[in-house]
Amino acid sequence: MKLVDKFTLWFLGVTLIIIPINSVITYQSIKREIDKSAIERLKHVNVRVAAQLEKGEVPGEYTQGCRIKVESRLGPTPEDQYEITERDVTHDPELRDNDRKITVASYHTINGKHYRITSGDYVSRSEQILAGLRTSIMWKLIILIGLVVLTARLASRIVLAPFYGTLKKLQRFSIKSKKKLTLPPTRVKEFKELNSFVEKMTDKAVDDYLSLKEFSENASHELQTPLAIIRSKLELLSESDIQGGQAALITDMQNAVDKLTRINRSLILLSRLENNEYETEQEVSLSRYAQEAVNAFGDLIALKSLRLECNIDPDVDVKLHASLADILLNNLISNAIRHNIPQGSIEVSLNRRCLVIKNTGRPPEGPTEDMFQRFKKGSQCNNSIGIGLSIVKQICDINSFQIRYHYASERHIVEVAFPVGAASSKLLQNDERYLHEKIQL
Amino acid sequence: MKVLLIEDNLELASSISEFLAREGYICEVSYNIRDAQDKLISFQYDCVLLDIMLPDGNGLQILSFMRQERIQSSILILSAKNSLDDKVAGLEEGADDYLTKPFHLPELHARLRAIYRRKKLNGSNMITFNEISLNIDTLEAHVNGTLLDMTRKEFDLLLYFIVNKNRVLSRQSIAAHLWGDYTDNLANFDFVYQHVKNIRKKISAAKGTDYIGTVYGLGYKFNTSKQ
Repeated sequence: MKLVDKFTLWFLGVTLIIIPINSVITYQSIKREIDKSAIERLKHVNVRVAAQLEKGEVPGEYTQGCRIKVESRLGPTPEDQYEITERDVTHDPELRDNDRKITVASYHTINGKHYRITSGDYVSRSEQILAGLRTSIMWKLIILIGLVVLTARLASRIVLAPFYGTLKKLQRFSIKSKKKLTLPPTRVKEFKELNSFVEKMTDKAVDDYLSLKEFSENASHELQTPLAIIRSKLELLSESDIQGGQAALITDMQNAVDKLTRINRSLILLSRLENNEYETEQEVSLSRYAQEAVNAFGDLIALKSLRLECNIDPDVDVKLHASLADILLNNLISNAIRHNIPQGSIEVSLNRRCLVIKNTGRPPEGPTEDMFQRFKKGSQCNNSIGIGLSIVKQICDINSFQIRYHYASERHIVEVAFPVGAASSKLLQNDERYLHEKIQL
Repeated sequence: MKVLLIEDNLELASSISEFLAREGYICEVSYNIRDAQDKLISFQYDCVLLDIMLPDGNGLQILSFMRQERIQSSILILSAKNSLDDKVAGLEEGADDYLTKPFHLPELHARLRAIYRRKKLNGSNMITFNEISLNIDTLEAHVNGTLLDMTRKEFDLLLYFIVNKNRVLSRQSIAAHLWGDYTDNLANFDFVYQHVKNIRKKISAAKGTDYIGTVYGLGYKFNTSKQ
C-alpha cells in the first residue's frame, strides 16, 4: 500500500467520524438558534400586545398567522414573565400537520388587571433541518472524497518529491563506485533528517568499504614478497645436501606455500576485477582463445583419457579483456578436466550466443549455484582451493555475461551467455524506465 | 652473463643472487634506484632484474633512465604488485618480460635465459645439450638427429629442464611453468608426472641418455653427469 493511499484512507476515516458528530452539533445549534429567535420575536409580540392593552386598544387576533390569546387571570403574576411551550401539532385537527409550534405565554399586569398573553409561531421542524443538513453533508462528502482522491497523488508527488529523489539515488547507489551519495536539499524537516542520516550512513559504508579493500589489497601485496622469500629459500634448500625425511618436509612446505600463493593471487585478481581494472571497449576473438585453451589442455585431456568434443564457431567476438578471456576459459576447462571421471567426456561449444562447457562427473552434492561462492567446493577434490568458479562468476558479472551452472543428464553444464549487442542496450533502457516507473509513485 | 638485480628486499635479493651465482652468472645487487643508476652508468650488464616498488621511487623510473642513457641491457621486471597497468607500462617502456612475485627461481632463470637468447643470439634459436637439440622457433626437438614427436607442453618442459640443468625442479615449479598462475589445476601433479614420464620415454626411444631423474620426494632433476 502506498503512503499516499494510507494518508488518504486515514483522512477519509477521520472525516467520516467527524461529519456525523459535526452534523449533530450543527443540527442542535441551528435548532437552538431558530427557537431562540422565534421566542424573542414572540416575546416582543406579547410585549406589544400588552402595550396595546394598556392603551385600551383591542389587540389584533393574529400575528404572523398564529392566534394571540389574551386571558385575564386572578392571583399573583408568576415570577417568570414568559412561558414557552413547544409542541408538535400533529394532533391538531385544524392543521393536520406535524409542524413544530412555539408558544410564548407572558404575564402582564395592566391597569391592576392580570393578563396572560399567549402568542405562538410555527418554526422549521427538526426533520426539515436534518433533511437539509443531510443533503449538504452528502455533497460535502462527495466533493471532499473526490478532491482528496484526485489531488492526493499530485500532492504526494510534489510533497514527497525529495523522498522519491532520495530513494532513487539510494537505488542507484553502489558502494563499489566509491562515490559518496549527494542528495538534493529539501526544506521538510523529516526529509532533511532522512537525507542527513542516509548520507551519513552511506558515507560511512563507503569509507569502511574503501579501508577494508585497501587493507585486503595491501595485505595481499605485502604477502607476495615474504612468499617469494620462503619459496626461493625452499628452492635453495632443496638443492643442498638433504636426506629423505627432510625432503618430505620441504615438499610439504612447498605445497603449502604454493597453495597460499594461489589463494593470494586469486584474491588479488578478484579485487582487481572489482576495481574494474579490466574494463575494455575492445572485442577479442573468443573463438581463437577457446581453440587455444582447448589445445593447451589437450595433453591433460589425453592423459586422463577423456573424450573431447569441440564445436567452436569461427568469428565469435565478444567485448572482453584478453587476460580475462584466458582466465575464464582456462578455469572452466581445467575444472571440466579435474572434476571428470575416467573415460569421461568434455564438450566445448561456442557460438555467438553462448559458450557451453559440458563434462561428465559425479553429481554435485550441494546446490549448484553455491559453487560460485568463494572457497566453496565440492568435497570430491582436495587439490583445489575453490576460488576458480567465483573468479569466473566475477568475470561474467563485470562483463554482463549470464552464467548458469547446472547438472543434467549426468553432465555438469556451465553456460555463459553473452549479451547481444544492440538488444542488450535496449534491454538496459527498458530496465531503466521500469525502474524509473517503479520509483515514481 | 652479468646481471644487475635491483631489489630492496635483502633476503629475496640474496636468494636470487645465490641462485644465479650457482649458474655461473655475475650478479650485482642494488637496493635502491640511486645506487642502481650509478651502477648502470658505470658498468655494462646483460640483463637487469627490476623490482617495481623501491624505497626511493618507482622501478619504472629506471626504464626511462636506461632509455635516456641508451643502455641496451635486457630488462626483466619482478613485481609484487601484479597490476596490469604496471605490466603494460613496463613492457611499453621497454622491458622484455614481467614476472610476478612469488616466482620460482628456476622460472626466473628460464625467463632470463629466454630474453637473453632473444637479444644476444639473434637468429640462432637452437639450444643444444649433448645429443639433444631444441629449436625454439619451430618447437622441434631432435635427439641424435631423430625428430621427437612431442606436444607443445612436453617441448616446454624439456626446454625448462635443459635451461635449469642440474637443478632440483619441484612439481610446483613445473606446473606453474606449464600452466601459468591462475589455473586452479596446479596441484594436480599427476599431470607433471605423466609429462615427465612421456619425455623420458621419448628420449630413450630415440636412444638418448635418460638425464631426467627423480629427486627424493622433491621433484625432478636434469642430471648432466649421467652417461
